[in-house]
Amino acid sequence: MNHHRAGRLLSAYVDSELTAAETRAVQEHLLDCADCRNAYENLRAMRELLAGLPPAEPPAEFWAGIRGPVLRARAAAAGAPEEGLRAAWAFARERLRSWVVVRRPGWALAAVLVVLALAALPLVKGTVDRLHATEIGVDLYVHDHALQMGSTPLVDRAYVGLVAGDAELVIAGETPRPAGDAAR
Amino acid sequence: MSETAATLALMAPPEAVTAPAYTAEELARYDGIVERYTRHVYNIAYRMAGNEADARDLSQEAFLRVYRALRRVEPGAPLESWLYRIVSNLYIDLLRRRPKARLESLDAPLDTPRGEMVREFPDIAANPEAVFEREHIDGAIQQALGVLSPELRMVVVLSDIEGFAYEEIAAILRVPLGTVKSRLHRARQVLQQRLRPYVEARRGGWQR
Repeated sequence: MNHHRAGRLLSAYVDSELTAAETRAVQEHLLDCADCRNAYENLRAMRELLAGLPPAEPPAEFWAGIRGPVLRARAAAAGAPEEGLRAAWAFARERLRSWVVVRRPGWALAAVLVVLALAALPLVKGTVDRLHATEIGVDLYVHDHALQMGSTPLVDRAYVGLVAGDAELVIAGETPRPAGDAAR
Repeated sequence: MSETAATLALMAPPEAVTAPAYTAEELARYDGIVERYTRHVYNIAYRMAGNEADARDLSQEAFLRVYRALRRVEPGAPLESWLYRIVSNLYIDLLRRRPKARLESLDAPLDTPRGEMVREFPDIAANPEAVFEREHIDGAIQQALGVLSPELRMVVVLSDIEGFAYEEIAAILRVPLGTVKSRLHRARQVLQQRLRPYVEARRGGWQR
């Protein structure tokens, strides 16, 4: 067997996957060829490295996800809706988790709160403004009418002052009085 | 190998099959399948994808397909091959859906302002003892696997990590035996080059 062919067969030789005749031929070549012996030892060492890899352990919540459909079906058959819901929830959460991976829950929560605050701000502000506007509106209305009534001679000016509820109110035709006089 | 209805059902996209209401025995059977294969399926998915999130996705999708097609899977059928083939196919689908950037080979030189650079692998020059540390070795192996094309990687994972014989691998992947041999040969050449310090350390370890 020539060197090139032996080199191509070494990988399968390491795995004991050659025919008896091929195996013999490779073994004979190995006796003569230091390069191939070296390559063989390297292949063997690498195979052991790979075989020594510890199996990747599925995370605990992964099992619930995989069992989800069965748990749900069982719970439905047993007439236990809460169990079914719980299984469905576990399953959905596991499905969702594969889409949304939250690596920093603290930051995520903070970000959500900031967004909520920003969205709520105009709403709150708008409501406050509107309330404010209604207050002012009523005041203005009362003021206006009080002033109009003050200009008719038959109206009790003290009463108008009371209705206006504003000590500072200046009734038409009168000089301003100190605060509180209108109510008396 | 003949295509049975069950195999076709398993390979079909999930939309095509809906899960019927199963009997207690059928559910127990699914549980048995999960019990028996989950660790292997997950391990293969993890070694293929190289990260937990994708490994979860792939295994979950594979088992979901088994669940939906449960009634068409004959008891005692060689589910193993189907499951591993599904994982393999799902992984290749995943790669197709991913943006190109995620697909770039670790071997390809990086374009940087200072010219082309080749990625550095775990720096063992700074810490020569690291070649004996399991954690370091595992990381280097996973990284080296990531350099291989998915076809070569799958053969290595099935052979060297899961310990299947060539004939079984040929059956799982539906490729001729010769293809398994040549893929493994090529894959190992790349891995040898990538893992040289670790391989040499391992050989040195024998002589100690």
